[in-house]
Amino acid sequence: MGVRPGLATLATDPEAWVAAQVGGALEAVFEAVAATRAETAALLNRVAAAGRRPASADLAALRPGLHLRLAREELVSGAGFVAAPGLLADVPAWLEWWQSGADGDVRPLLLDLDPGHSAYSDYTHWDWFTLPRDTGRRAVAGPYVDYLCSDEYSLTLSEPVLFRGRFAGVAAADVYLRHFEAAVLPLLLRLPGPARLVNARGRVAASADPAHLAGSLTRGPDFGELLTEGRPGTYDGLRLVPCRGVPLVLVLA
Amino acid sequence: MRQHEIDGGARKALFSPVDNRARVDAVVRRIGDAIELGLLADGEQLPGESELAGQLGVSTVTLREALMALRQQGLVTTRRGRGGGSFVSLPEVPADDRLKARLRGWSTEELRDLGDHWAALSGAAARLAAQRTEPDDLRPLRRTAQELARAGDAAARSRLYGRFHVELAAAAQSARLTREQIALQGEIGALLCLVLASDEYREEVADRHRSVISAVQDGAHETAGTLAERCVRESTARLVAIRLTL
Repeated sequence: MGVRPGLATLATDPEAWVAAQVGGALEAVFEAVAATRAETAALLNRVAAAGRRPASADLAALRPGLHLRLAREELVSGAGFVAAPGLLADVPAWLEWWQSGADGDVRPLLLDLDPGHSAYSDYTHWDWFTLPRDTGRRAVAGPYVDYLCSDEYSLTLSEPVLFRGRFAGVAAADVYLRHFEAAVLPLLLRLPGPARLVNARGRVAASADPAHLAGSLTRGPDFGELLTEGRPGTYDGLRLVPCRGVPLVLVLA
Repeated sequence: MRQHEIDGGARKALFSPVDNRARVDAVVRRIGDAIELGLLADGEQLPGESELAGQLGVSTVTLREALMALRQQGLVTTRRGRGGGSFVSLPEVPADDRLKARLRGWSTEELRDLGDHWAALSGAAARLAAQRTEPDDLRPLRRTAQELARAGDAAARSRLYGRFHVELAAAAQSARLTREQIALQGEIGALLCLVLASDEYREEVADRHRSVISAVQDGAHETAGTLAERCVRESTARLVAIRLTL
C-alpha cells in the first residue's frame, strides 16, 4: 500500500490526496520561512564582509521582505527572525518580528526582553526555537497557546539560520489555528469518515470529527515513528496517513 | 536591553481597554501596578497623553485625572517643554509601604472577588491541562516552579508566580483562559509582592505548584483543579489578612 501522492486523486485515493494537499498548504508557509532564512543569512554575511558584528538595527533590512510575505501569504499572521542570544553586538537577545492585525495592518512585536522586568524574556525554551536549533532542520511547533507573541492558538513553522556554519537563530512564521482550520477543513470534509490531523505528539491540529477536537490528545499510536517511516499504518481501527513533508498525520476513524 | 518602549505579555494587559465606571481609579491602579512590578522602569517616559488614553480606551480628561493622582502618589513626574512629558519616578519610600498604600485601594470584598475569579481560571485550567497534557507540555511549568524556588526579590517571585498560572492556562490549550489569566495577573501581580516577600511562603507556593504539576501529569484532573484553587485562595486570603491590618 505504497502512497504515491503525486498520482493520488480525490477519486482514486482520497486519503493520500488529502494528506498531500495538507502538506502543500504548509509547504507554501515553509517557502515564506525559507525566504526569510535566505535573506537573513545574506544580510549577516554582508555585515560580516564589511568587517562588523551584526547589530539589531541591521535587521531592519529584513522588513520589506517580511511585510511582503505577511501581505501575500494568506495563512501567515506573524513572520520574522529570532536571533540566538549573543549573535548581535548591541543587545543580548532580539526578535525582528512582525504581525498582521485583524485590520490588515502590519505591526512590529514589541517585547521587553529585560529579565529584570519581564518573566517572559528568555525565548530559548520554546519549541519553535529549540527544534530547529537541536535538529538543524525545519520544524512545525504546536498547536500551542502563544502567550509570548500573539496570545493565539497557533502553529509556528521555523527553520535554523546559519552564519559562518553556526546556529544564528531561527526564521519563522506563525499560522493561527483558526486560519489553518479554514484551509484544511474543506479537505477533511471530503473524506467519507470522520477525519482529523494530529502532530507528532498526538495533539489534534484540525478536526472534522466532533469527538476529537483541536487541542485534544489522541493517545496510543507512536505518531513520531510513523512520521519518520513516512508510510501509512493502522492502530486499533484507526487509519493513519502521514502528510508529505510536514509532521502531521491524517487520522481516520 | 529593552527593545522598544512597550512589551507584550503582562504589558499587553496593561494597555488593553479599561471599561469600568471607576475609570480614573482603574487607570491609576493599572499604571501604578505596572510601576511596582517594574514593567515600567524608573525614569521611563510614558506615551503621549492622547496615545496613552487611546491605548487604555479612556478619554484624555480621564487620563489627565489619573496622571494627576499618580503625581500625587509620587509615581509620575511631568516635565514641560521640549523633551517633556510624563515620566515614571519611583519614590524613596520603601516598596512595602507603597504596596500597602496600593492594597488600601482594594476593599476586602473586591479582593475576595478577585480571588474567586483567579480560582475559577486556574482551577479550570488545571482540570483541562490534566486531560490534554503530555509530558513535554509540563517543561515550562517545571522550570517556573524551579525558578520560583530560587527567586530572590519579591517582584521576581511575583512575576514567576504569575507566569506559572499563565503556563497552566496554555497547557490547557485555551487561548481564552490564557488571555484572562494574563489580564488578571496584571491586576494582582503587584499586590502579590506583599505576600511573597516571606521565604517561608515562597517555599509553600513552590510546593503547591509542584503538587499541581504532579496531579496534571497523572491526569488526575479533579485533584489538579482543587490543588490549583487552594493555592490561589491561600494567597488571596493572605492579602485580605494584610488588608485588614491597614
